[in-house]
Amino acid sequence: MTAVDRSDVTVAAPAAQCAGLPWGSWVMGAVVAFLCVTPFVLVIAISFGQKVEGAGWEWSFTWANYQRFFVGALWPEEVTFLHVQRLWYSLYYAVIAAVLAVLTAFPFTYLLTRQSRGTQSRWLVFILASLSLSEVFIVMGWDVLLSNRSGLPMLFETSGLTDWLKRTGWFDVLREWGLANPRNVKFKTSEFATILTMSYLVWPYAVILLYPALSRLDRSLTEAARTMGAGPLRVMTTVILPTVKLPLIGATLLLFVFLMGSYVTVVVFAEPAKQTTAVAVYEAVRGSTLNAPFGAAQAVILLLTAAVFLGFAQILTKRSESL
Amino acid sequence: MFGRALGQLFMAVCGLVLALPIIVVAGASLNGGRTMLFPPEDPNFSRFVEFFVTETIWVRALQNSIMVAFGSAALAVLLAWPLAYLLWARGSRMSRALAGLGSLPFALPPIVFGVGLGFLWAFTGSLGALWVGIVSHAALFLALPLVTISIGLQAIDRAHLDAAATMGATETVTFRTVILPQTIPYTVSGFFFALVLSFNEFIVMFFVSASSYATVTLQIFNSLRNGYTPTMAVAAVAFIVVSIAVFSAVARWGDLPRLMGADQSRN
Repeated sequence: MTAVDRSDVTVAAPAAQCAGLPWGSWVMGAVVAFLCVTPFVLVIAISFGQKVEGAGWEWSFTWANYQRFFVGALWPEEVTFLHVQRLWYSLYYAVIAAVLAVLTAFPFTYLLTRQSRGTQSRWLVFILASLSLSEVFIVMGWDVLLSNRSGLPMLFETSGLTDWLKRTGWFDVLREWGLANPRNVKFKTSEFATILTMSYLVWPYAVILLYPALSRLDRSLTEAARTMGAGPLRVMTTVILPTVKLPLIGATLLLFVFLMGSYVTVVVFAEPAKQTTAVAVYEAVRGSTLNAPFGAAQAVILLLTAAVFLGFAQILTKRSESL
Repeated sequence: MFGRALGQLFMAVCGLVLALPIIVVAGASLNGGRTMLFPPEDPNFSRFVEFFVTETIWVRALQNSIMVAFGSAALAVLLAWPLAYLLWARGSRMSRALAGLGSLPFALPPIVFGVGLGFLWAFTGSLGALWVGIVSHAALFLALPLVTISIGLQAIDRAHLDAAATMGATETVTFRTVILPQTIPYTVSGFFFALVLSFNEFIVMFFVSASSYATVTLQIFNSLRNGYTPTMAVAAVAFIVVSIAVFSAVARWGDLPRLMGADQSRN
């Protein structure tokens, strides 16, 4: 994620004496292009293909897969927005989770950068370890924590919290939100569990993305503001927030793009009717529905949505660096 | 003073929430029985023996994970080095474009890249081979060594290069005596970042392995619908330990805050 916004920083060309191997760089270019670009080109090409009943798919040039995505296969006789709705859920979960992660990671990262170098290193090790932890393990952990037979619902029951909720009437509110069954609270499956896990998933990323901007924050500015009598809150809103506003929005956009592709979390924690496009891509390419061209078309739509937001993030990072 | 304590408390709460699922999984891995219970029932280490020694499914998956992770991380570093060097030494439009392309798979949703790689390897007829998994992960994580090596190259003092040039060193000599030694920590960090992420990746692996082999995360992913077992929790514990060890090593021998983009003037 960070490579994109850093690649433009690296253009200072100090070594003047480098005579190069032009053919070598062409070979390099070919290898990188083949590995990193052809997969995307193929997805786009195949999205215009056709499904062959019982035999996979064939090359073609038809917009039918895209039409099916936006208005359904039987258009114009019948219109369904099932696939658009899935894309909507992709965006919906990702937006809330990304914003939540950045909102909580921001004060944390700010505090982290005020620590000594050694303390920072230790926290970074922990954060990087949880960042690299596979989505399957994270989902496993939250699954145990949120499932009805163990974890939080059990804790609610045994600690008497459930009874308290029932007495005070909050239980009915939770039931309305889909967070309780008649007997106890339940978190699986729910939007709450999906968004919580997604937020957890990108939280370490949020810290890592905000870390450079916050650790380069000029301390003399905040100190000057403090000596001139500004309270901590005022320093935050008038000095710190304006300087890190762009990195903050940029980080949110990157996390959002990252979350659009999350798969396991949605499969395990979201209700079947509220699954996302990423799940649909999986189902179409390798899962139960088996329609590679349609899967590819959905992947292209996911890709385009991601590209638009990444573009925004890129512009914001550029602008914040030129400031 | 009060604000400071509040800040410490907030950091502690964040750390606790971050650790919560990890603690639960670690606890569940100690279960004596076959169900995921927390707190564990009849705690012992028999699931660890199962994962590392007796159950062939897991032992083979672990071997595959190790081969893919080391192979792809090494390949990613080999591909990233000339790219980063070109970018640093030239900064030409082509090298910038190449670096951008190389970061593409990491920046975009991995499921799309996985689907695309699945198509690609199906055309070449090599879908399901282990080396395909290695090459795929190398492409996916190329961006990581690219970034760390670029940071390392930028850290080189220009005065050293000028000194080498005035003393008549050729490009090769400068490279060997000035550039390479100073960038080794960053290269190694890039290697380890790619290694750890490859260990934990599964969705791209799912599409390129075509069910002919499984890595540990893929094996867990495949048995998702049948529910979790404590043996899988052992896998999680093993992976967390590896990650922490690797990043501690990076922090010990490299400059982790700098790699993460902290201001280098404040030490």
